[in-house]
Amino acid sequence: MLNRTADSVARATPEPLARKVRGISDKGLAWLFISPTILLLLAINIFPLFWAIYLSFTNYRANRPNEVVKNLGLANYRRILGDQDIWIAMQTTAHFVFWTILLQTLIGFTLAWLIDRKFRGHAFWTTIILVPMMLSPAVVGNFWRFLYEPQIGLFAYAISFVSGIPPTDIQMLSNVSLAPWSIIIVDTWMWTPYVMLICLAGLRSIPEYIYEAAEVDRASNWRQFWSITLPMALPFIMLAVLFRGIENFKMFDMVNLLTGGGPGSTTEVASITLKRQAFESWRTGYSSAFAIILFVAVFGLANIYVKALNKVKQR
Amino acid sequence: MADVHIRNVSKSFGEQIAVSGLDLHIADGEFVVLLGPTGAGKTTTLRLIAGLERPDAGTIHIGGHNATALSPAERDTAFVFQQYSLYPHLSVYDNLAFPLRSPARKMPEDQIRRRVEDVAKMVRIHHKLNNRSTKLSGGEMQRVAIGRALVRRPAIYLMDEPLSSLDAKLRGDLRLELKRIQAELGATMLYVTHDQIEAMTMADRIGILADGVLVQIGTPRAIYSEPANLHVAARLGQPAINLLPAGLLPDGGAPAGTRTIGARTEHLSIDKAANGHADGVVDWVEHLGDQNHLHVTVGAKKLVTLTDPDTPLAKGDKVTIRYRAPLYFGADGQRLM
Repeated sequence: MLNRTADSVARATPEPLARKVRGISDKGLAWLFISPTILLLLAINIFPLFWAIYLSFTNYRANRPNEVVKNLGLANYRRILGDQDIWIAMQTTAHFVFWTILLQTLIGFTLAWLIDRKFRGHAFWTTIILVPMMLSPAVVGNFWRFLYEPQIGLFAYAISFVSGIPPTDIQMLSNVSLAPWSIIIVDTWMWTPYVMLICLAGLRSIPEYIYEAAEVDRASNWRQFWSITLPMALPFIMLAVLFRGIENFKMFDMVNLLTGGGPGSTTEVASITLKRQAFESWRTGYSSAFAIILFVAVFGLANIYVKALNKVKQR
Repeated sequence: MADVHIRNVSKSFGEQIAVSGLDLHIADGEFVVLLGPTGAGKTTTLRLIAGLERPDAGTIHIGGHNATALSPAERDTAFVFQQYSLYPHLSVYDNLAFPLRSPARKMPEDQIRRRVEDVAKMVRIHHKLNNRSTKLSGGEMQRVAIGRALVRRPAIYLMDEPLSSLDAKLRGDLRLELKRIQAELGATMLYVTHDQIEAMTMADRIGILADGVLVQIGTPRAIYSEPANLHVAARLGQPAINLLPAGLLPDGGAPAGTRTIGARTEHLSIDKAANGHADGVVDWVEHLGDQNHLHVTVGAKKLVTLTDPDTPLAKGDKVTIRYRAPLYFGADGQRLM
């Protein structure tokens, strides 16, 4: 009976295909299927990474391909770690990452918490809040440049309306102390919805009956928030911080569009320095070394963070 | 502890009527079990008393005070949910102490410690006080959830199928344990279940709910032997009561208007047919170890009854069946006296 079924299945398979497939093992077939992806990854991710590692030990300059490439050993790395400008760029990056994460987490979680109240029309407002996140960074950068215009920009006008300072004095992009904040504001505007979405998922995962139990146990709203809402949403908040942290550590597009690193080098974050070294000074070997250092730094920090996150999740 | 008095309470969710015109008085220190199938309004009744739902009509008095409009926190009830509703990031100790740490109580920490340790011993979880609540087995979690209700001395304990998610052995153990604790504390308790064994063994009184209506309330004995109608009769007894049309078997003494006859094991005498007359045929003998289920076909009907483990009856035997004071039900399903 069983044999007959197997036979009829075998007969149902067209003969030439069956013969061809029979020669390949399951494992071989699996490799066959994933090989295009693997090749693509090798070509555009793995090879450039190793190539950059190689270049970081040389004095190679991409604009002088005919020059003899000399091996410098660790000289590039030593020079980067002693370079004052690099450290200033790292500080600028840290400042930027810290404030964007702080603001986005606070505002994002608060919005998620409000949306989770499920008031009338909460679905509509969720959609509205998500709009900035769906725009292209190039579009966002360009229209915020207009908003920040001291003469015609709405932002300066609105601030002057509230504070009474004449709008022409509010030079968001060219004032040394305001320029970093102009970028923090735009990044927060654009990416807070993303943090909100992750936090909302966390809040929605808390079962209703835990709140009901707490209510019967006479826990105030405040206590419910601190002993149920926040601890149970914490892994999600941490995940959002991780994603935003990695993204903002390598922030490039918004800074490049809004200030280009200026005025002076007040908004010159690490990736802008990297671009200037690589494609304006054409120090390819040197900038490769810097890129590797950044990569190791982000990778190391993210790993430590993920360990902490897992610990929180396991509690 | 206090008594709870529910008067004419109704509650609907949209079109769905959950509870309709419910009257229930739970005396101080009484253990009342509400028994009914899913959707009968058992849980809604509990939630109404706890204040997690507001009634559409009627009043709820707890300890003599009208609590109908009060919030859950103001009512002084303790609730054990069907799910393990522990605070997952807290230790067992902190879970048990949680209700006592309410600012409304202002209980000193050493007193909390004493209370928590007492209760932890009571529900046999004291060896795991420092464990995270997520690191417990299902049975342990539910013991903590019960313990978290017991640390308080509320007006009434409300328990929503607290044992339904546990395995059979643990369910049996905790059943006895809960009854013991309730008697020890003299606690007023309203307990919801769809398990007739829990209802029969624990309750001072059982209330049978069907479609949001309290059909009958009484002692387990009374509910079992004097069911008000077919529905109540069918809820209790293992194997389930046999409901046979009148006239299928000789039923001398049936009151006028009898439509259905309810016969449990103790209402039937079954013997091997002698002198050629038989009422039915043994279909199958189901061996359960300490007892047997006897399946008998009578005409087009099948009967299931208990029999001795060493019964002489076997498959295919012809038998005579006689009623022994069975239950009589009229055309409307009500029992006839």
